Amino acid sequence: MLKKSRLLAALLMLCLVFPLVAQGQVESAPAKEIELRWASIWVGNDSKAPAVEALVAEYNAKNAGKIKVVIEPQPDYNAYEQKVRTSLAAGQAPADIFTIKFNPTTATFYQSNLLMDFAKVMDASWKQTFDAGSLEQSTVDGMLKSLPMETAILPIWYNMDAFKKTGITELPTTLDGMFAAFDKLKAAGITPTSQMTGDTNAWTSMIWFSHFAVSLGGTNVWEKSFTDPAFVEAAKLTKRMITEYSTSDAVGLGAGGSGGHFLAGRTAVFSNGPWYAGRADLAATPFFNSIKIAGLPAAGSTKDFMISRLQANICAASSKDKAREAAIVDFLKFLTSAPSISKIAETSGAMFAIKTDYRPTKALQKQFYDVAVAAKTTAFDLEAALGAEVTLEFAQQLGALALGRISAEEFCALVDRKIER
Amino acid sequence: MQAVGTHRSRVWTARVLFLLPVSVLFFFFFIYPFLFTIYTSFTSWRGIGSMKFNGLANYTKLLGDPTFRKALGNNVVWALSQGFIQVPLACLIAMILVRKPRFWRSLRTIYYLPNVISTVALAMVWVAIYNVEGPLNAILGALFGAEKRNWLGNPDTALFAVIFQTVIYIGYFMIILLASAMNIPRSLYEAAEIDGASTFQQELSITLPMLRGSLITTMTLAMAYGMRHFESTFLMTGGGPAYATTTMGIDLYLKMDALRYSEASTAGVFLIIMGTVVITVLRKIFGSSDPMSEMAQ
Repeated sequence: MLKKSRLLAALLMLCLVFPLVAQGQVESAPAKEIELRWASIWVGNDSKAPAVEALVAEYNAKNAGKIKVVIEPQPDYNAYEQKVRTSLAAGQAPADIFTIKFNPTTATFYQSNLLMDFAKVMDASWKQTFDAGSLEQSTVDGMLKSLPMETAILPIWYNMDAFKKTGITELPTTLDGMFAAFDKLKAAGITPTSQMTGDTNAWTSMIWFSHFAVSLGGTNVWEKSFTDPAFVEAAKLTKRMITEYSTSDAVGLGAGGSGGHFLAGRTAVFSNGPWYAGRADLAATPFFNSIKIAGLPAAGSTKDFMISRLQANICAASSKDKAREAAIVDFLKFLTSAPSISKIAETSGAMFAIKTDYRPTKALQKQFYDVAVAAKTTAFDLEAALGAEVTLEFAQQLGALALGRISAEEFCALVDRKIER
Repeated sequence: MQAVGTHRSRVWTARVLFLLPVSVLFFFFFIYPFLFTIYTSFTSWRGIGSMKFNGLANYTKLLGDPTFRKALGNNVVWALSQGFIQVPLACLIAMILVRKPRFWRSLRTIYYLPNVISTVALAMVWVAIYNVEGPLNAILGALFGAEKRNWLGNPDTALFAVIFQTVIYIGYFMIILLASAMNIPRSLYEAAEIDGASTFQQELSITLPMLRGSLITTMTLAMAYGMRHFESTFLMTGGGPAYATTTMGIDLYLKMDALRYSEASTAGVFLIIMGTVVITVLRKIFGSSDPMSEMAQ
């Protein structure tokens, strides 16, 4: 009986230990080809997915037997960000290749030795393919631990069909003109804008606030104290947008709801990046062909600028295996080459920090390109400039500001205390 | 004598072997993270790079943080609502169902049904219900001519709204209490009836005292859940507006989101302390008897 128990215990232990041993054997087995895991967010319904998958297939075919890139789909972006954070904190790279949204919060990742420093492996010809400004923005203390890949401008979207219903055929050029146009829309029973204070960044309202703040305080406004008059005035304007010119559910509303109002034609003006242009539900709207992309009329002395951000930077795991590191660089050179980027841009409408001759032909995407080119200068949005914690405070207190619980000055003081100096 | 000793030794070896796998897993997935959380709460660490010991600085900062104090207060409201509204409600329904009225089996299933539906799905349904243009405002408007309210967007109503949509789902605690109530001997009720006790008196003098152990257990579970509440509030409001609905769990999550790992650990330690305080206070109030043992009996 006792022998049986011991035998059973030994078998049980063997069952538990065997899968672990087996797993180790698979990983440590000598590989004929180098397999690179890419934790990619450009999968599923993402507009970049088809082109990215085709490029990976093309690269794998060219390098058959030598290098194989395997996409690990990451369709839930929030879960993916958590994975990146926790993996790095646990002392492990989330994959051989992965992306981050570069901002002051994620710049902390540069302190990790788990990330490859591209500054050490980037030759002059590869460097030249990138937009110099984006490369500089992605460099921290001389380290380039993420490559700028996808960029974005964050303009304002105008449903001109709605404007035409009130007799307005041209976009207002002054702030007063814009408010007058919004009043006309309201009178016609159309809610002018899609504002929101929900989620962790009050996304669409954060874009409006960024436009106002940069116009009032200049492109270096984010370097100033948040109690600066430019921010106070921007807060007052944003509050006016929410309380007078938005849907009644704006306080607490998330990005899905804000976009949903615009897609349903309930609001006439919206704000978002170029990735939204590739959505099938947007193309299905009756006003799709009337959408006009532009900035906001200047609220201050800074004009002809565009709010922008580094939307996705590519990171790679550092490796002591030189062959593996060379394989990663080889694939990333292929991925960030002008022909590859042109293919992704063509299908998705997204914008990139890599210089190409690609010029969009689809009307809406062309507008994004034209607006970006026409801008004399660019400035980061609040989240890109000040990071996640400040943006969270902004979102939380924006609700209180809109409800009149705090003044614009108090709002700015509350956000200011979250800025690390 | 030696044979008995050898036999005992073998029995112990077998026991150790059987317990070893789960003990190892328990250590690595519970004890180690627990100790690591306590350790990191005394350091300055952003998840990357080395940790720097900073004593009680995180605790001082956290207690001085109005957002965390708000979260702590909200958790107390959550715990009290769960323990003193949800459990009594569950108990009331269990006491009705135990008398097996018509359709009691169907009602039992209906009450329990929300517990098998995903929290995400329920939260999304309630977001739609609470929307300014949603059915709640439509019903209140039609019945009382009430003005439309942004239930989740107003700091005055948001906390009440998110608590309400959880508190009404009593199925889980109802099942526990119903199972206990069904084990109460019928002879006690028959004797009480002979003595002329009304139904209300029977419930008060027989059912409730007999359910004491189960009630303490369900209240402990409910209040512990209230102290660590996260999911539905995060999905419905993200802790807003203006932190009106934030909880310690949400605060912890958002601190991790901002790569403030050591501060998140400190919030985690507070969560553990508060959970322990709740259980201790309940034990003090309801006596030192072990509700789990009573349940088992």
